[in-house]
Amino acid sequence: MSRIKSPAELEAFRKEILAQRDPDKPCITLCSGSACNATGSGKVAAALELEIEKQGVTTEVVSRRTGCHGFCEQGPIVVIYPQGICYLKVQPEDIAEIISETIKKQKIVERLLYVDPNSGERATLEEDIPFYKNQKRLVLGSNRKIDPRSLEDYLAVEGYQALTKVLFEMTPEQVVGEVKDAKLRGRGGAGFPSGLKWDFARKAPGDQKYVVVNCDEGDPGAYMDRSVMEGNPFAVLEGLMIGAYAIGANEGYIYVRQEYPLAVANLTVAIEKAEEYGLLGKDILGSGFDFTIKVHRGAGAFICGEETSLLNSLEGKAGEPNARPPFPAIRGLWTKPTNINNVETWANIPMIINKGAAFFSAIGTESSKGTKIFSLVGKVNNTGLVEVPMGASLRDIIFKIGGGVPGDKKFKAVQTGGPSGGCLPEGLLDTKVDFDELSQAGAMMGSGGMIVMDEDTCLVDIARYFLAFLSDESCGKCTPCREGIRQMLKILTNMTKGLAKEGDIDLLFELAEATKGSSMCALGKTAPNPVLSTLKHFREEYEAHINEKRCPSLSCKALIDFYIDPEKCKGCGACFRKCPAEAIEGGKKRIHVIVQDKCTKCGGCHEACPAAFDAVNILSGVPVPEATPEEARAIG
Amino acid sequence: MVNLTIDGKEVKVGKTATIYEAAKEAGVHIPVLCYAKKLLPYGACRICLVEVEQMKGRLIPSCTTPATEGMVVTTMSDEIRKVRKTVLEFLLVNHVIECPVCDKGGECDLQDLTYEYEVISNRFEGEKFDLPKDEINPLIERNMNRCVLCGKCARVCDEVVGYGSYSFINRGFETKIATAFDRGLNCEFCGQCVSMCPVGAILPRPFKFKARPWQLKEVNSVCGYCGNGCTVTLGTKDNEVQTIRFNDKTGVNDGNLCIRGRFGASYVNSDKRLTSPLIRKNGELVEASWEEALETVATGLRDAGSSTGILSGARLTNEELFLVKGLAKAVGTGNLDHSGGECYKGVTQGLQETLGLQASTATFPQVENAKAILAIRTDFYETHPVFGMVVNQAVKRNDAQLTVIGDKQGKLTRMPHARTLQHKPGLEVNILNAMCRFLLDEGLAKIDGLQGVEELKVALADYSVDAVAAAAGVDAAAIKQTARELATVENAAILLAYGLPYTANSRELGLAAANLSLLTGIAGRAGSGLYLCGEKSNSQGAIDLQILPAAGALGASGMLKAASEGKLKALYVAAEDMLVSYPDKSLVEKALEKTSFVVVQDIFLSETARKADVVLPAASFAEKSGTVTNAERRIQRLNPGIKSPGQAKSDFAIFQALLSALGATAPADEAAAFAELSAATSGYEMVSLDMVGDQGYVWGSDNLAPEMRNLVAVAGGKAIEAKYQLVVGSSLYHSGTTSLHAKGPMAVVAEPYIEFGREDAAELKVVDGDLVKIKAAGGVISAKAKVDRRLPKGVLFAPYHFGALDLNRIYHGQAAIAVEVSK
Ligand SMILES: Cc1cc2nc3c(=O)[nH]c(=O)nc-3n(C[C@H](O)[C@H](O)[C@H](O)COP(=O)(O)O)c2cc1C
Ligand code: SF4
Ligand code: SF4
Ligand code: SF4
Ligand code: FES
Repeated sequence: MSRIKSPAELEAFRKEILAQRDPDKPCITLCSGSACNATGSGKVAAALELEIEKQGVTTEVVSRRTGCHGFCEQGPIVVIYPQGICYLKVQPEDIAEIISETIKKQKIVERLLYVDPNSGERATLEEDIPFYKNQKRLVLGSNRKIDPRSLEDYLAVEGYQALTKVLFEMTPEQVVGEVKDAKLRGRGGAGFPSGLKWDFARKAPGDQKYVVVNCDEGDPGAYMDRSVMEGNPFAVLEGLMIGAYAIGANEGYIYVRQEYPLAVANLTVAIEKAEEYGLLGKDILGSGFDFTIKVHRGAGAFICGEETSLLNSLEGKAGEPNARPPFPAIRGLWTKPTNINNVETWANIPMIINKGAAFFSAIGTESSKGTKIFSLVGKVNNTGLVEVPMGASLRDIIFKIGGGVPGDKKFKAVQTGGPSGGCLPEGLLDTKVDFDELSQAGAMMGSGGMIVMDEDTCLVDIARYFLAFLSDESCGKCTPCREGIRQMLKILTNMTKGLAKEGDIDLLFELAEATKGSSMCALGKTAPNPVLSTLKHFREEYEAHINEKRCPSLSCKALIDFYIDPEKCKGCGACFRKCPAEAIEGGKKRIHVIVQDKCTKCGGCHEACPAAFDAVNILSGVPVPEATPEEARAIG
Repeated sequence: MVNLTIDGKEVKVGKTATIYEAAKEAGVHIPVLCYAKKLLPYGACRICLVEVEQMKGRLIPSCTTPATEGMVVTTMSDEIRKVRKTVLEFLLVNHVIECPVCDKGGECDLQDLTYEYEVISNRFEGEKFDLPKDEINPLIERNMNRCVLCGKCARVCDEVVGYGSYSFINRGFETKIATAFDRGLNCEFCGQCVSMCPVGAILPRPFKFKARPWQLKEVNSVCGYCGNGCTVTLGTKDNEVQTIRFNDKTGVNDGNLCIRGRFGASYVNSDKRLTSPLIRKNGELVEASWEEALETVATGLRDAGSSTGILSGARLTNEELFLVKGLAKAVGTGNLDHSGGECYKGVTQGLQETLGLQASTATFPQVENAKAILAIRTDFYETHPVFGMVVNQAVKRNDAQLTVIGDKQGKLTRMPHARTLQHKPGLEVNILNAMCRFLLDEGLAKIDGLQGVEELKVALADYSVDAVAAAAGVDAAAIKQTARELATVENAAILLAYGLPYTANSRELGLAAANLSLLTGIAGRAGSGLYLCGEKSNSQGAIDLQILPAAGALGASGMLKAASEGKLKALYVAAEDMLVSYPDKSLVEKALEKTSFVVVQDIFLSETARKADVVLPAASFAEKSGTVTNAERRIQRLNPGIKSPGQAKSDFAIFQALLSALGATAPADEAAAFAELSAATSGYEMVSLDMVGDQGYVWGSDNLAPEMRNLVAVAGGKAIEAKYQLVVGSSLYHSGTTSLHAKGPMAVVAEPYIEFGREDAAELKVVDGDLVKIKAAGGVISAKAKVDRRLPKGVLFAPYHFGALDLNRIYHGQAAIAVEVSK
C-alpha cells in the first residue's frame, strides 16, 4: 500500500475495506489482551486456526484476535458476531465444538456460557451478561471488534475520520473549543479540564511544542491504560495527533511502562502501519501537517507517572518531580511547551470530534462528563475492566456489574483512586462516580482503581499496606513526603502489631495534614488519603487497635489468637493434620489444644475445622483461656 | 512590575520574582534551606511555605511560586509555624547531631532554624544515618550523615560549575547524594558545593577545627590569581587567612570561585615567605636592613640610568604599577614591560589597530544572555574558570551555542551541545580568517561603517573555508555554521585568553578576533562582547597604566636579549619568577648572569630571586590596599586582612621608599596614588575611588564603544610538521608560579606532567605516572606522564607553572614545539 495522500483517497480506501467485509459473515473474535494471553489465549488461537482449516470453514468464517474485552477473570473470551455469542474460559479443546456446533449448526455450547452466581441463569449473548449489560463502553467498545495491529480494522470502525475532520475542517482554536465544550477532564488522576490545558499549551509562546501520552500506569492492579493501548493503539495515536494539531506540535512521545511489552509491541506495529500509509510523517493526508512519534519505555517507578517526573525521565534525567509552576504547558519537555495527557484521555478525543461535544457532554454529571474505565478487583464476584458513564453509583458498579461480594461475606468498604485513594464505607455506596463527589467523600477518581473489601479486611492494615507502597515509591525529593509517609507508616505498623500508644491517632492526623499540605507533588499531597479516609469512616477500628489491642476484622496477626473451643471440639483431628507448625496437641477422641507459643497464626486450623463443628475461634482483644489440662481432654 | 501584599506590606517587584524574592525585597524574612539565589527554583525542603489568600487550602512554597498581581501573602501563622516545625523534626529524625564538633556550627541553617523554631524535642523517631564519610581528597570532606537533601551541591555543580560530580541516588528514605559509583570526590575542587551546603555535610578540610565562624574577621578583597577578579572574603584569625568565606554579594563572581580562589590563598601564610631584604655579599644573599637595601638599589639604579630594564608582574595593584612607572621615570629609562613574550599584544596592538581599544568591550555577566559564544582555545576555562562558569550557565540556561576553536578538548568542549573545531596546533588565526571570509562572501558581514573591507577581502583570498578546513583538519560546515550564528544571533561573545604560556601569534589572534567581532557586529554592541582576558589579576591594569616600553625603548624580549649580550646595566624584576615563567629560560639565565645589578622584589625567594643582587620582601594580596582591574575592566579594591610577615612591605611602600631615595616624589598613600593615576590614565579620568564600591567600577561603561572600526588583514599560521608536537599552557589548578606555594592547588596537582592523549599513550606504551623524556631544540625535559582524553594524536601538552620541569628550555614562545618522545 502506498501513502494515502488526501481525505478522498482515505475514504476510498475505507470503502474498499468495508466492501470486502460481509457484516453477516460469522466472525470469531478471541480476546488476546495480556490477561487472556496469560490464561492461554495463544493456544486457543492456534487451535482456532487449525480447526477452521480442519473443519473446512475457511471461507465461511473470519477469525480475529482482539484486545482486552474487560471480563478478564473469565478469559480467554470468545465472542461470535454478528450475534455476539459469548463464550468464557475457552480452552483449546473447546474450539472444535464451537466450530462444529455454533458455526456450522448455529447451536450454542451451553457449558461455555456465563452463569450468574446468584440466580444460576445462563446468558448467551455478551450484552445479556450483567457485567457488560450495565456498562457503557464508549472507549473500550472497539477493543473487541478490531485487531489492534490492523489499520484496516481501525478504518472499518470510523478510524481517522476525526483526524480528517480536524485537519481539513477545523482550526486549532475550534478543536480546542470542542474539547473544552465537551468538558472532558483528564483521566490520569487529577481530573484537570483537558481543553483548558490544551489552550495553555497552544497559547504558550514557542515554535517547538510537544504532546505526550502518559502510559506509565503505576497503580498496582490497575490496567485500563494497558488495555486501551494494547487493544486500540490507533485511537490513542489519532487522539494524540488531533491534540498535536490543536496546540501546534509536530512531535509526540508515548511513555509506556516497561512492564507492558504487548502494549509496546502493538503500538510499534500501529506506528509503523500509520507511517506506511502516510498517516504519520510529513504532510499527512496532504494537509501540510507533519507529525512524528517516538515510543519511550519507562523505568518503572510509580513516580514516573507524575507528569514532571515523566518529562524528566523522557529527557534522560532522574524521574523526579519539579516544582510547578511552571507547568508543562508553559515549560515542559526540553523546556518547550508540552501537553501531556493520559492514555484514556487521548482515546476519548476521536469520539468527541466524531460525535461532537454535545454528545459527549450529555453523558455524565454536571462536573464530570463521558465515561470512566475502572479496574474492579478485590472481594467482588466479577472482576475486570468496567466502563461506566460518569454519575453511575458505586453501588451499581459493585453490585450490578460486579455481582456483589462473593460468599456470604458482608461488604465493608470500597477503595477508589489507586494507592493514594480513599476507602468508603457501606453508607457512602450511593456516591456517584464524579471527580468532585468522590473527593468530597474522602476518596478520589484517581486513574480508576477500584478495590472492594469485605468484612474480613482490616482497614488499619489496608491503610498500612498503601502507605508502605507509597513510602517505597516516594522519590525522596521533598522532606514532608520522604519523612512524613514513613512516620505515618511506622505508626500504622505499630497499630497492627499492637504497639500503638494513646495519642497516635492525633499524631497521625497531624502527620497526614502536614504531608498533605506541604508536599511538593501529588504523591505526597494525596498519600495521607488512605489514612484520613479510614480514620474518618472507620475510626472505631483504629481505637480498637490502640486501646484494646483488638483487630475487629480479626486479620492483624499480632492481635489475634487461634483457640479451640473445648466445648465444640469433636477430636476429629482435621486441624491437627493441617497445622504446618505442629502447634496442635491432639489425639483420637481428645480435645485438641493449640500451643500458643508455637502457633504461627496461619489460620489453617480455622479453615480445616469442619463447618459443622466450628470449634476453632479467632480471638482478639481478649486473653486466650487456659488450655484444658491434659487429663481432662478425653471426649465422651 | 507586579504589586502584592506580604504580611500587610505593599510590595512592588519585577515580573520574574518569586514570593520569596518579593518578601526579601520587602524586608520580610522567610526561612529557606534548598533555595539559593544562583540556582534554578527547586522547592524540595518545604521550609519556606507560606499562605496565599488566593490559594487557600494548602501551603505555598514561596521559593518557587511566582509573585502575581494582587497576591496577599502571609508568611507566619500558627499553621505555618507548625508545619515548619514538623519539617524540622523530620529533618532531625535521621540527622546526626554533632554540633559541638561540626565545623558548620554557628552558621548552620539547620542549627539556626532548629533554634528559631524551638524544636526542643522530636515527636518522631528513626535510625540515624550511618554512611561512611568521603575523606579521600585533601580539600573537601563529605559527611552525608549530616545531609538534609536540599540538592544544592548537585545543582550548583551541574548548573553553575558544569562538572556534574553529584547526583541523587535511591528513593524515599534511602535517597542520598552520591558521586559516580559512590567513589570519592575527584573533580575540579572549586568548592562551590562547599559554599552551597546549608549544613555541615560538605566542608573545606583545610579549615577543619581552625575556628568557629564568629571568631573569624571577614575582609573582602580580590583574588590575587587570575584576571577574572573574583571577590574573595578572607576569614582571618591570628594574623592568618584561615579560610575563604562565602560571599555572593560583592563583586562579579556571584560567590563562585575556582580551586585557586577558594583553596589557594594559603601561600600567604607560608613560612617560606621572605621576611627581610637580602643583599648579595661575597656571592651569598644575606639579610640586610631596609636602609641598606634601599640605598644599594637606589645607587645601582642611579648608576645604570637609562641602561636599566624594569620588568613587572601583572599581580601588582594599579597604584603600585603607577609607582613602577614613576620609578622608570626617576631612573630615566623607557625599558619597561610587564610580561615576557609580550603575550598581551593581542590587546595592545590587535585591538588597538582595529578598534582603537586596549580592553575587552563588554562585561562578564552579559555573556549569560549570549546565544552564541566562540571560545578561542579550550584553555580559556583553565585560565578563567569562573568566567567559564558563566559560559556554562549561558549554555545550560539560555541554550547558548558554544563553539570552541581548540587544539585539544577540555571542559568547554564537553559542555552540552558544544561544537569543537579541533585543529592542528597554531592555526586559530586561519580559522578566524575563514569565518571572516565566509561572512563577507555570503553577505552576512555587517560592513556598514567598516574600514578596510576591500583590502581584507583581497587578503583573505587564501582563506576559503574549504581550504582552511582542509589544512586545519576541521569540518567546513561547522566553521560556516559558527560564523553564521555569531553574525545573526542577538547576543554573542568571542573569548580569548592570553598569558605567559600563550605568546605565540598574540597580535595576530587579537587582530583576527577583532576583525571577526567587527564583521559580526559584536564589537561594541550592548549584550555582546569581544573578551581578551589577561592571565593575571591585574593584567588589564598593567595595560591601562601602560606598563609597556616607551617609544624606541625595549620591551621584555628586547631587554632580555640586550641584557644577555651585556648591554643592560641593571634589571629590576617585581612580582615575576621569570626564570620559570618566561619563554626561553636560557635567555633569561644569560640576561641575569650578564647584568651586573639585578633587583628582585617578590614574596618568595624565587628561582629568579636567587640570582639577584638585592632581594626585596614584598606583601601578598592579602596584606595590601589598592585597586586592580580585571579582564572586563572592573576596577576593584583590595583590603588588607593580615599583616605582612617580618619586615616585608607592600610593593607600594617599597616603591615609595625607593622613589624618595632616588630623590623623586611619590604619592602619600594608595588613595592619593589612585587620584593621580586616574587623572593620567585613559578611561580612568572620570573615576574616583569612592565610585569603586562593592561591585567595583567598570571603566568605560559596560559596553565599550570602539574608537574606530578598521579591518586589518592578518596572515594565519602554518602547522609544523612533526610526529609529536608539544603545546604549552595553563593548568586549571594553578596560576602562574604563585600557586605552587599554596597547599590547595598543590594537593591536587603537585608535580609537573606531560599529558598524552589515549592514542599516543597506547602507541608509545606510556601509562599514567611513567617517566617520559621530551627532546626538542633547546634541550631535554622529563616528567611523569599523564594520560587523558583531551589530546588528539600527535599532540602533547605540558603546564608551564613548574620550575622543576624546565619547560622553557624548549618553549620559546612557539605555538607548538616539535618534540621527540622517549621513556
Ligand atoms: C505519583 C503520581 C503518579 C501518577 N501516575 C500516573 C500514571 O501512571 N498515568 C497517568 O496518566 N497519570 C499519572 N499521574 C497524573 C499525571 O501527573 C498527570 O496529571 C496526567 O498524566 C495528566 O493527564 P490527564 O490530564 O489526561 O489526566 C500521576 C500523578 C502522580 C502524582
Ligand atoms: S550540620 Fe552540624 S551544626 Fe548543623 S545541626 Fe548538623 S551537626 Fe549541628
Ligand atoms: S568542588 Fe566544584 S566541581 Fe567539585 S563537586 Fe564541588 S562544585 Fe563540583
Ligand atoms: S550535601 Fe549539603 S548541599 Fe548537598 S544535598 Fe546535602 S545538605 Fe544539600
Ligand atoms: S526553600 Fe523553598 S522549598 Fe526549600
